Amino acid sequence: MKTSQNENPTQGRNKGLTRPMQAKLAITGMVILLALIALIVTLCSIQSNYSDEYNQKILSQQRYDSRDIPARRGDITDRNGSFLATSTKVYNLIIDPSQINSNQENYLEPTITLLNEVFGFETAELRNLIIEKSDSAYVRYAKQMTFDQKTEFENRKEEINNEFKQNGDSRRVYGIWFEDSYQRYYPNNTAASCLVGFTFEDGLEGSGGIEQYYNDELTGTNGREYGYLNDDSTLERVIKPAQDGNTVVSTIDINIQNIVEKYLMQFQNEMGSKTAACIVMNPKNGEILAMANSHPFNLNDPRDISAYYTEEELAGFDDAQMNDAWNSVWRNFCVTDTYEPGSTSKIFTVSAALEEGTINGTESYLCEGYKEVGGWKIRCNVHSGHGWLNVTESIMQSCNVAMMKIVEGVGKEKFTKFIHIFGFGQKSGIDLPGEPDTAQFIRDPADMYSSDLATNAFGQNYNCTMVQMAAAYASVINGGSYYEPHIVKQILNSQGSVVNNIEPKLVRQTVSPSTSAFINNALSETVEEGTGKAAKIAGYNIGGKTGTAEKFPRDKKNYVVSFIGCAPIEDPQVLCYVVVDEPNTDDQAHSTFATNIFRAIMYEVLPYMNIFREGDDSEYEPPEPVYFGLDKKEETEGAADAAQSAAAQEEVSQEQVQENNAAEEVQSEGQHEEPETKRAYDTEEYVEHFTPEEGEEEEMLPGTPPGLEAETVPEFTGL
Amino acid sequence: MAKTKRKHFYDYGLLFAIIFLTIFGLVMIYSASSYTAQIKMGDPGYYMKRQGFLALIGFAAMIVISLIDYHKILRFAVPAYLLSIVLMIVTMVAGREINGRRRWLGIGSLSFQPTEFVKIANILFMADYIVNLGKKINTMKGFLTVVGLTAVPSALVAYNNLSSGIIVFLIPAAMAFMVAEKKFVWAYIGLFAAIVLVLLFKRPAAAFLTSTGILKPYQISRVLVWLEPEAHPLDGGYQVLQGLYAIGSGGVWGKGLGQSIQKLGFVPEAQNDMIFSIICEELGFFGALLVIVIFAFLLYRLFVLANSAPDRYGAFLCIGVMAHVAIQVILNIAVVSNVIPNTGVTLPFISYGGTSVIFLMCEMGLALSVSRRIYLDY
Repeated sequence: MKTSQNENPTQGRNKGLTRPMQAKLAITGMVILLALIALIVTLCSIQSNYSDEYNQKILSQQRYDSRDIPARRGDITDRNGSFLATSTKVYNLIIDPSQINSNQENYLEPTITLLNEVFGFETAELRNLIIEKSDSAYVRYAKQMTFDQKTEFENRKEEINNEFKQNGDSRRVYGIWFEDSYQRYYPNNTAASCLVGFTFEDGLEGSGGIEQYYNDELTGTNGREYGYLNDDSTLERVIKPAQDGNTVVSTIDINIQNIVEKYLMQFQNEMGSKTAACIVMNPKNGEILAMANSHPFNLNDPRDISAYYTEEELAGFDDAQMNDAWNSVWRNFCVTDTYEPGSTSKIFTVSAALEEGTINGTESYLCEGYKEVGGWKIRCNVHSGHGWLNVTESIMQSCNVAMMKIVEGVGKEKFTKFIHIFGFGQKSGIDLPGEPDTAQFIRDPADMYSSDLATNAFGQNYNCTMVQMAAAYASVINGGSYYEPHIVKQILNSQGSVVNNIEPKLVRQTVSPSTSAFINNALSETVEEGTGKAAKIAGYNIGGKTGTAEKFPRDKKNYVVSFIGCAPIEDPQVLCYVVVDEPNTDDQAHSTFATNIFRAIMYEVLPYMNIFREGDDSEYEPPEPVYFGLDKKEETEGAADAAQSAAAQEEVSQEQVQENNAAEEVQSEGQHEEPETKRAYDTEEYVEHFTPEEGEEEEMLPGTPPGLEAETVPEFTGL
Repeated sequence: MAKTKRKHFYDYGLLFAIIFLTIFGLVMIYSASSYTAQIKMGDPGYYMKRQGFLALIGFAAMIVISLIDYHKILRFAVPAYLLSIVLMIVTMVAGREINGRRRWLGIGSLSFQPTEFVKIANILFMADYIVNLGKKINTMKGFLTVVGLTAVPSALVAYNNLSSGIIVFLIPAAMAFMVAEKKFVWAYIGLFAAIVLVLLFKRPAAAFLTSTGILKPYQISRVLVWLEPEAHPLDGGYQVLQGLYAIGSGGVWGKGLGQSIQKLGFVPEAQNDMIFSIICEELGFFGALLVIVIFAFLLYRLFVLANSAPDRYGAFLCIGVMAHVAIQVILNIAVVSNVIPNTGVTLPFISYGGTSVIFLMCEMGLALSVSRRIYLDY
């Protein structure tokens, strides 16, 4: 028998492998083994030759992708906790093109379609973006989406993806996510606009007002989520939570602010001016209760200044002009702008004299209508002269001549010293941005002519800001304590606990209590009997002082009129200062414009502040409709309102008083051709232009306010 | 005749290797895919669970098949072969197109890679055919018939998946090599040598294949990427390069299980073809060596089974299975270590892929069935 396979082929099937087969199988096995060994050697060589290099490559391509967790910008509230500014949570839509492109045919179209469906984004634009930035993992496509929008998208996405999944479709909506963010929101829109300020750069940078001054408190610290490689080269992920910004509680009372703004805007509509502005403050601690000017803007849309410029103007502006326009609207007049204060400063002249002992308050002065100082003939507001006036009467009648005589006794050195004691020429220190350096506006005694001293005595030839004036006034009427004016009283952390209480800061003593009492009495008399009669409100003992300042250049006949006053005068609780810059009329020199605004504001503010009328209720007058415009007749014709006509009557009688006082005066050079117009003027003062003496060239009020030659008034610092 | 006690043999060594590799594969799939699965599917264990479920089904199939006499299964060799051809044609016509390639047949959410079925069907068919052919295979007619019968399914597979086509061709060729005599031995060795040369002398081969238009565009780009992986970082070269970084950075002991950085989106679909690079990164050279040793052990068991099989049908089944596993392991590791171009061959038992694991388990069932027919004499 030979081997079975030779004999019978079918027999072999039932046996195992033959020797040659086993040999070939063994060869195959060896080949496989050799191949595996070769691969092991290859792997070994890769690892021994490239281990370090490849490790570095891996680490270098690792994105330690860290991500900001935005901090919430703190709120700004008024003194009672009403929100002036707050932050609401919004979402940024982030597209991750690299993820979408990782499986373009499955992800691109469903994702784009859904974005279009939910948000209405252009599909073509999205497609281009995703293809152009194919390597990018972070494209912030849309900002400030609401929670509802986000939820809608996410719900739809889940629905669609589930549908795909159920149908075994491998298409997905993919590569879109939302990032937290905050949007600044101002619930009152225009209220306290210059005071609160606004933010740009996603609420990171405050511009103007509290937003700017307290930016560091409000901003908070962004948190961060980041990955890093630890010692073992493993990726660790760490989250550092965001520290939300602090809440700033301001001293503002939004109700008082609204009252102030209401009347300023009403004045602006009915008469108009370049700027009307008002500060209401607590004279006992320097807290600002309201601060407004006549050009508010919408804080939620600060770049919309169409209320002040026509569309054509705005379209014609280049970038620089546009910036100027914005800055002029955003400018906080009360803090930033300077002007010559005029007669309101007369109380400082008298205070300085009383403090220095150069007068004792019992002196009398003869006013003949003018005084010659240093070769200038400086006129009083009443050209015919006031006659004999004691010190109190000189304030009541706002007599320039008496002031010039008083200041002569004080002298340049001491007067200038008091100007500084009252805080003029230095920053008031108010916690708002944009306060100018006013040192340049005050003359050094060495450079002072006697005419400068004389005009300084009634508030001309030096500049101040409204805040300076209000703070100095507060110190005189409160018994002599000069408090730094401030706008913020408390800083709270994001949980609402107090971080910092800002206490009233007493800076210095300006006058003695006896001087304060003397001035308060004079101010009260001014409202009762003197030039400030228009400010009187029945049942309240109000003290106040008018001011009419001639602006530089003098030949333009432009005026800043003002009224500053407080109530009740025995225990001043609220100080209100109204300034009207260039009232919109041919004859600007009447402080009544400001006084009327003061009265209207105080009429509402005093009861609001729980300062009640004295006397019985029978004296109570119903609130009067206020009208600031000139043309009384037309107004009264329509609705013959009893109260209104009564008010008109009062004004007429005032006019008569004033006409008696001013005799022939008011329109000296016949520049006003409408003597018949019924005007509610109260021309208690009038700084006359000089009639040139022989040989003299000068025609105007002597001197130039220092610092005005150079355009050094600081710009609004917002943008 | 003193009858010795006869006892069924069951290759527990092979079974152990299969179970070890499958479970190790699941662990590595979880490690490699949990990050991307969490992002894409919202469940870090998505791929692992799916693979585990299908591996269980495959395991059950394997046990069942191992208990059936393989001769009964061989009766279905011809129908299986014909079915595999039909399936490939259907796939070419109506398959699901993914990334420009029709490789999937699917109904609803179920999808199936017919290529994997073609492999097992060819093993069955060729074992049956070659053994039945007997000595006639060493005639020119027999040789050409075997080559022709192999070429038909290979060509159909290669149309959409070149690497699987090569595998489908190489398995029967390896089986036929065992019975070849004289000049036909050299014919088969020449065939292997040609393929090895093509794989080793990449540049001229690529140029030739590109210029004659045999390869499809994506295959050409794969070949180009294979030539200079760092010059093509955004295509497959990116994949290869990142795989190389992973291997290189692992060092001897690796970064530790689960500590791979490259799986965090850098090695695309790390749970698939490139899983061996993640094994190298996490478990180092030592882990890679261990995996290769286990595969070598598995192949050794199949080698032993082929040698001790009671008949040639069983022996050739084992040879076919061994060839299949060996070819895939070698090609996969060769791709990952950038010895040959990126071809998309999975690592048996370990790479993610449901069809693949089920049919591999079936093949193992066949081998175990052969082992059961071995009787031990005491």
